[in-house]
Amino acid sequence: MTHLMAHMIPYFPDYPTSLEAARALIDAGVSFLEIQFPFSDPTADGPTIEAACTTALAQGFSVDRGFEFVKALAGRGPEIVIMTYASLVISRGVDRFCRDAAAAGASGVIVPDLPVDSDEGLWNAAEKAGLTVIPVIVPTTSEERLQKIAGVNPRYIYCALRTGITGTRTELGAENLAFLDRAGRTGAKILAGFGIQSPEQVRTLKGHVHGAIVGSALVRVISQAASPEACYESLLGVAQELVRA
Amino acid sequence: MSDPDRIVQSFFGDFGGRYVAEVLRAPLDELEVEFITAMQDQEFLRLYRNLLRDFVGRPTPLLYAENTSREIGGADIYIKLEGLAATGAHKINNALGQGLLAKRMGKGRVIAETGAGQHGVATAAVCAKLGIPCRVYMGEVDVRRQRPNVFSMELYGAEVVPVKTGSKTLKDAVNEALRDWASSFQDTHYLLGSALGPSPFPDMVREFQSVIGRELIEQTQERGIVPDAMVACVGGGSNAIGFFAPLLERREIRMIGVEAGGRGSATGDHAVRMEGGGRLGIVQGYKSMFLLDSDGQVQDTHSVSAGLDYPGIGPQLAYLGASGRVEFTRASDQEALDALRVFARNEGVIFALESAHAGAQVLKTAKELGPGKTVIVNMSGRGDKDIFITAKELTPQTWKDFMQREVQEIEAKEKQS
Ligand SMILES: Cc1ncc(COP(=O)(O)O)c(C=O)c1O
Repeated sequence: MTHLMAHMIPYFPDYPTSLEAARALIDAGVSFLEIQFPFSDPTADGPTIEAACTTALAQGFSVDRGFEFVKALAGRGPEIVIMTYASLVISRGVDRFCRDAAAAGASGVIVPDLPVDSDEGLWNAAEKAGLTVIPVIVPTTSEERLQKIAGVNPRYIYCALRTGITGTRTELGAENLAFLDRAGRTGAKILAGFGIQSPEQVRTLKGHVHGAIVGSALVRVISQAASPEACYESLLGVAQELVRA
Repeated sequence: MSDPDRIVQSFFGDFGGRYVAEVLRAPLDELEVEFITAMQDQEFLRLYRNLLRDFVGRPTPLLYAENTSREIGGADIYIKLEGLAATGAHKINNALGQGLLAKRMGKGRVIAETGAGQHGVATAAVCAKLGIPCRVYMGEVDVRRQRPNVFSMELYGAEVVPVKTGSKTLKDAVNEALRDWASSFQDTHYLLGSALGPSPFPDMVREFQSVIGRELIEQTQERGIVPDAMVACVGGGSNAIGFFAPLLERREIRMIGVEAGGRGSATGDHAVRMEGGGRLGIVQGYKSMFLLDSDGQVQDTHSVSAGLDYPGIGPQLAYLGASGRVEFTRASDQEALDALRVFARNEGVIFALESAHAGAQVLKTAKELGPGKTVIVNMSGRGDKDIFITAKELTPQTWKDFMQREVQEIEAKEKQS
C-alpha cells in the first residue's frame, strides 16, 4: 500500500476552514499530515503555497498558534510532520522548537534550508526531543551527497520528483522512478512529492515509495472552498480518492 | 571554518554559510569551483580588467570636496566618484565579473533580481555587451517607482518581470530569482547583485567590487592622501565591502557603514539591521542580521532610497560590525535629502539617494574628526536615476506642473494619430 502524506497550512484560508481541512484529511485516512508553518519568504515554494502562506500570516498565524493547531490534531490517526523554514526554527531556538513540536504531538520536522551539514544542530535537537528529521533530496543530488545524507540515518527521505519549486505537475517516468529506487537503497523509507495531483500518479509510484506527498493540489482545493463545511466535503472526496489509489 | 586568506571564506565568524534547499547545493558547489578557477585564470582576469577600463570606464575619479570641507571647517572630504561608472553605480563591477563568469561556465541565460533597478540596469547592459539573454525580477512596487530604470533595462534587451508576491520589493525579487534558479540552474546563472545570499555569493561579490578599494589605495598613494576614516552606505553591502575590504588591514582607518534610518524607528519605517535593530537569523540562504519579528518572519522596511530598504545585511559586514572593525550609523530620509543638496550645490555632484546616506554621515564625521584629518566617502551611484523621487521631494509643485504638461503633450500626440 502507498501511504499518503497530505500537506496543509494552518490559518489558510482562515482558522476555521483550515481546521475543517485537517478533519477531512484525517477522515479520509491519510497516513501523514504535513503541516506547513508559514514563513514570509518561502523560497522553495511555488505560487500556490506562497500565496497561501501570505494569507495564513495575514489571518493571524503565529508559531505558538501553529503548535496549538498541531496539538488539536495529534493522536487522531495520522503521523504529524511540521514543515517550515530555518528562520522560524532559529528564532525560537532549535532546541526549543523541537521540544515544542514534540510536546504538541508531532513526530517529525522538515526544514529544507537546514540541510545535512548546515543543520544548526537540528538533528541533535530533534533526536533529543524524540523527533525525526526528514531530509529533502532532488534528482540532481549527487551520489556523494546522498551518502552523506544517508550517513545521518534518516527514517524517511523526502524525494522531490524534479528540480524547481512546488506546484507544477510532474511527469513520472523511468528517470524519476530510478531516482526513487536509488534513494531507497539508503535504507530510508521514501516519501515522494512535488507535482503529484492525481490518483493515477500515486499508482505509478506504487512499489517505489513508502508514501506519496500531495501539496499544492490540496491547497488549491482548499482555496476554492466557499465555506468551512464545503471545504470539508470537497477535500474529503479528493483525499479519499488519493488514499484509495 | 573561516580562513581570511582563501578567496571563498563562506563563513565570517558565525555569519554566512550555504543554508539552501538541497536542489541549490549542486549549482552553488559548482559556482564556487568555477569562481575559484576563474580568479586564477590570467586570461579571464585580463578580459575583466580590459572591460572594466573600456566598458565601465574605470578607474573612477577621486574628487577633493574642497568647498564642503572649507564650509564645515573640519577634516578634508574626498569623494570616490563610483557613480561615474557606466550605468551610474558600482553595481556594474560585479555584474561584469559575474557576466564573464557565466559565459566562461557556458551558461546561456542570466537571471537577476533588482530593487532600485541599478543592479538590473548594470546586468542588462553587461548581458547586452556579452550577448547573453537576460531576465530581471523586480518587485511590482519598485517597477512602479523606478520606471526610468525599467525603461533602460528593456532598451538593453532584458526582460523585466514584475514580482507580485510578499511585499513586492527587493527581497521578493530575490525569492523569485531563487525559485527560477531552482529549476533552471543547468543552463542559467543567477547574477546576484549584492554581497549577500548563500556562499559563494558574498565572497564573489566582494572580490568583484574590491576594485573600488584597490583603486583608492593607488589614488591616495599617488596624491599623498592619508585617510583617517572611510564612509559608505549599506544596503546589502556590496559597495561598502568593495570599498573597505582592500583596506581592512589598515587598522588606523575608521570604517563607517551607514544604514537607512528612514522616517523613524518604528517597525516598517527604516532598514537598520545593525545597532540593535536586527536579529540573528537565516533567510535567503545565509545567516546574518535581519529585521525579523519574534517568530522569525521578515519585517517590512522603508527608505527613501529603494536600494537600501532590504531587511538583511551581507554576512561579512555583519561580522565586521559585530567584531567592531566597522562602525554602523544611520541616516534618515531627510538627512540624505539634505546631504544631496549640499554636495550638488557645493561640489557640482549629485549623489544617488543611497549614497547620499553616506554623504550625510561624512558631513558629521568631517566635523567630528576636525582639521588636518581626511575622510573619504564612497558615492556608490550618481543621482540621475532618482530624479522622479528627489524632484517630487525637493520641489513638489514645479515637478507636478512639469508632469502634468508631459501628460498633456502625450495625450495631444495620441489624439493626432
Ligand atoms: C547607488 C547604489 N548604492 C548602494 C546600493 C545598495 O546596495 P549595496 O549595499 O549592495 O551597495 C544600491 C542598490 O541598489 C545602489 O543602487
